[in-house]
Amino acid sequence: MPSSEADSKGQNLADGGISEMSKRWAVLIVALITGLTFSPILRVQTAAPQAAGGEARKWNNIPPRKSAYAGKKSSPAPRRDLSGIWDAAGLDAGIQVNGAFEHPALLPQKGGGAEGGREAGAGAEGGRLDETGIEHPLPYTPVGLAALKANKPSGPGVRQVPAALSNDPLDQCDPIGFPRMELYELRTIELVQTANRVIFLNGWYGNWRIIWTDGRELPKDPELRWNGYSVGKWLDDYTFIVETVGLNARTWLDHAGRPHSEDLRVEERFHRVDHDNMELTVTIDDPKMYTQPWLGVNKFPLHLLPSDFDIPELLCSPLDMAEYNRQISNAVLPSRPKK
Amino acid sequence: MKFLLAFALAASGVIVSVPLFAHHGNASYDSTKTVTVKGTVTDYMWANPHVFLKVDAKDNRGNTLHWIIEAQNPLSQTEVGWTKNTFKPGDEVIVEIIPAKNGQPIGRFGVAGPTAGLATQESRIVINGKQFKP
Repeated sequence: MPSSEADSKGQNLADGGISEMSKRWAVLIVALITGLTFSPILRVQTAAPQAAGGEARKWNNIPPRKSAYAGKKSSPAPRRDLSGIWDAAGLDAGIQVNGAFEHPALLPQKGGGAEGGREAGAGAEGGRLDETGIEHPLPYTPVGLAALKANKPSGPGVRQVPAALSNDPLDQCDPIGFPRMELYELRTIELVQTANRVIFLNGWYGNWRIIWTDGRELPKDPELRWNGYSVGKWLDDYTFIVETVGLNARTWLDHAGRPHSEDLRVEERFHRVDHDNMELTVTIDDPKMYTQPWLGVNKFPLHLLPSDFDIPELLCSPLDMAEYNRQISNAVLPSRPKK
Repeated sequence: MKFLLAFALAASGVIVSVPLFAHHGNASYDSTKTVTVKGTVTDYMWANPHVFLKVDAKDNRGNTLHWIIEAQNPLSQTEVGWTKNTFKPGDEVIVEIIPAKNGQPIGRFGVAGPTAGLATQESRIVINGKQFKP
């Protein structure tokens, strides 16, 4: 790749080779390095500071920061096409460590809403059984509120408990399931579009889903699945709508422990804004738990990454999890009072 | 020309400092205290759910404490410039942490404040006498 050649030459120059260069050549190199420094593509590469040389740039790529996408011009969107590797700017927004992006389990901050609190990392106090006082409360039914209270999240938020006291199924390496894979740790995904389906690939905890586009109906009385049953259709040339049912209720909706029942229906709306940008909206509809549907993410930005972007692996190993619990999360629990 | 080249290379190393959020909250840690641990690395685990570092350090009375200090998951640590080779056994380190509330020699990379223990890269880290800069 030309950029890595230019960069490695630049590094050599720094070691003292400059006096042997013609002035014109040196100017070219400087211009290249300066230009590439501020290009999002090189940020992808330089942000992966692993093995030396070109290898680091080919494997385990790290997406650029969200700010790198600002003001970037794009060509128009292709018709009826979602395929590509899409970045949810995980580190800046997609991780959703406080709960679904539109409803973080945080108290409002002075001088700003929960958004400001999220960015400051504040409002992360625990100990509340319910979510009274959060900025954008959810419309729980009595059954929903009871189910919420039974879920003990370890993430920063108003209900957090120490990790060892949490009953988050992910802390046992249970499958993350759908839609939690979009409402927590949404980082980099790949969408593969074929003649009769869209394949959703997620490097985080190794998830994949099939979204059928061959016109089949959703199942009426399905065997429940962690990722449910999904069908998709084009609303117009740039908007793809996915309906999902048949979801196993052992999963949480998000990292704040929001519950769902087996009656959950999820709508995903992928709107391709232009060639490089897509918006994802996820609607949660579960009348058993919530009195009305609500948005988990709303026009959440996804950015197209280069087609040779290598998505890093991050899997949940039960043995590694047990080791972490043994050495750290159990060991930091408050001492029990002596009887 | 050398100046220009130096500028370009320096600019490419600019790091934007933003919080990195922990998927486990800091409920078990004292977010009002920053403790500086100075000692020798005995182990470095590059694993999900949390990367962690083990350091043998002497307390005020000269007893050796076996510290365990946790960071975030490997992917999040990679995003802020850590690698599986950032620490190795035998390294002499100075690291800032917030301590476990229960008094055990366990900590989390971070400094006291509103984002204590949620933002690994706020810690000052010195490895073998050199300030760690990813």
